[in-house]
Amino acid sequence: MNNAMKTRILGIPNRYFVLLGFILLFISWMLVPPIRPVIQLPAETYSATPLFTLPVIGPFYWTNTLTAMVLADLLLVLLALTVRRVVRSGSLVPKGLTGVVETLLEVLHNLTETNAGKWTKAIFPFFATITLLVLVVNWMELIPGVDSIGFIRPVESGLEGYPVYTIGPRLETIYKPKDASAAPAEAGQYQLVPYVRVLSTDLNFTIALALIAVVMTQVMGVRALGGSYFTKFFNVKTIFSRPMFGLIDFAVGLLELVSDFSKILSFAFRLFGNIFAGSVLLFVMGSLLPIIQSGFLMLEFGVGLIQAVIFGMLTMVFMSMATVGHADHAEH
Amino acid sequence: MDAAAAKLIGAGLAMIGTIGAGIGIGVVVNGAVQGIARNPDASGNVQTNMILGIAFAEAVAIYCLVIALLILFVF
Repeated sequence: MNNAMKTRILGIPNRYFVLLGFILLFISWMLVPPIRPVIQLPAETYSATPLFTLPVIGPFYWTNTLTAMVLADLLLVLLALTVRRVVRSGSLVPKGLTGVVETLLEVLHNLTETNAGKWTKAIFPFFATITLLVLVVNWMELIPGVDSIGFIRPVESGLEGYPVYTIGPRLETIYKPKDASAAPAEAGQYQLVPYVRVLSTDLNFTIALALIAVVMTQVMGVRALGGSYFTKFFNVKTIFSRPMFGLIDFAVGLLELVSDFSKILSFAFRLFGNIFAGSVLLFVMGSLLPIIQSGFLMLEFGVGLIQAVIFGMLTMVFMSMATVGHADHAEH
Repeated sequence: MDAAAAKLIGAGLAMIGTIGAGIGIGVVVNGAVQGIARNPDASGNVQTNMILGIAFAEAVAIYCLVIALLILFVF
């Protein structure tokens, strides 16, 4: 371990703080046993009545995932401004945060260059934006307070609720009574609605991102190949010269069309499924044993990173595939 | 059999599909590791493609997971 790394706070090695954290975690688990939160798929709304109603689209609610979106956007804008300030100041050797951002973007840029070639400049912004946004959004899951601080509301019918326990002024929690038979049944029907919920656990976000990725892929293809890009889907080049194989080529083109629509679903469900399953895993593990959850937080750290990179990389690969002509179809 | 039990069994059955994804990821990594062992210089390129392949294979498992979660928490 080199001297530059700070391994001590107040003269005490850092590992003792970690140990202290574990012990505190265990004690608090003994005092107030954690409960399994009510898991629901659609994002929770802040108010029961819609903010406003649009004519065609319908009612508009402010959901807790929307708050996460705003937070993530603010974070990214702040990051961009910080890096911009450092770059403008003219220092050639980036340090700290700027160095991390530069390393990350350099890796992404090299990856784009090997795949996309001369279209790097057009494709790289999408790759980097999607990767950074999804990364920030996924890692929000690891921040304490996200998914655990919020309103206390009566549960909807059919779900299991918990009684409310007042800790102090304006500070309440829901808890699991030691023996369920002692508590009156009508007292224990409350759930926690978090202020901020991980954005990737909302299908609206992942489908929107997938739509952007797939639609912009088509735009890239048209930019690179012009109108002839659509012969990928409606392949009529060989249908008259060689009717037999031409028909097969035409059917293959239609399959390409279907596969592009399934790309939207596959993009959206991959991100959503991974992160939602991760959240559920953290909830369940946290309610079973206290220390185990720390290990799963590390797993979620990796999953969040991999899913962000995969979402961006697949977008990039599809885009660079769309910019390449399909001249080889004419050969066979 | 009541609806709650049927939900749990259905969610469990939906996850059977992950067998295929597991086999698929195994095949992909097998090929990639053999490729890297034969030509270590190409490891960067092989790894990129391997992760892409894993992502595609994994997507199928995630569909199963989404269906299981839908069964458990929505219906």
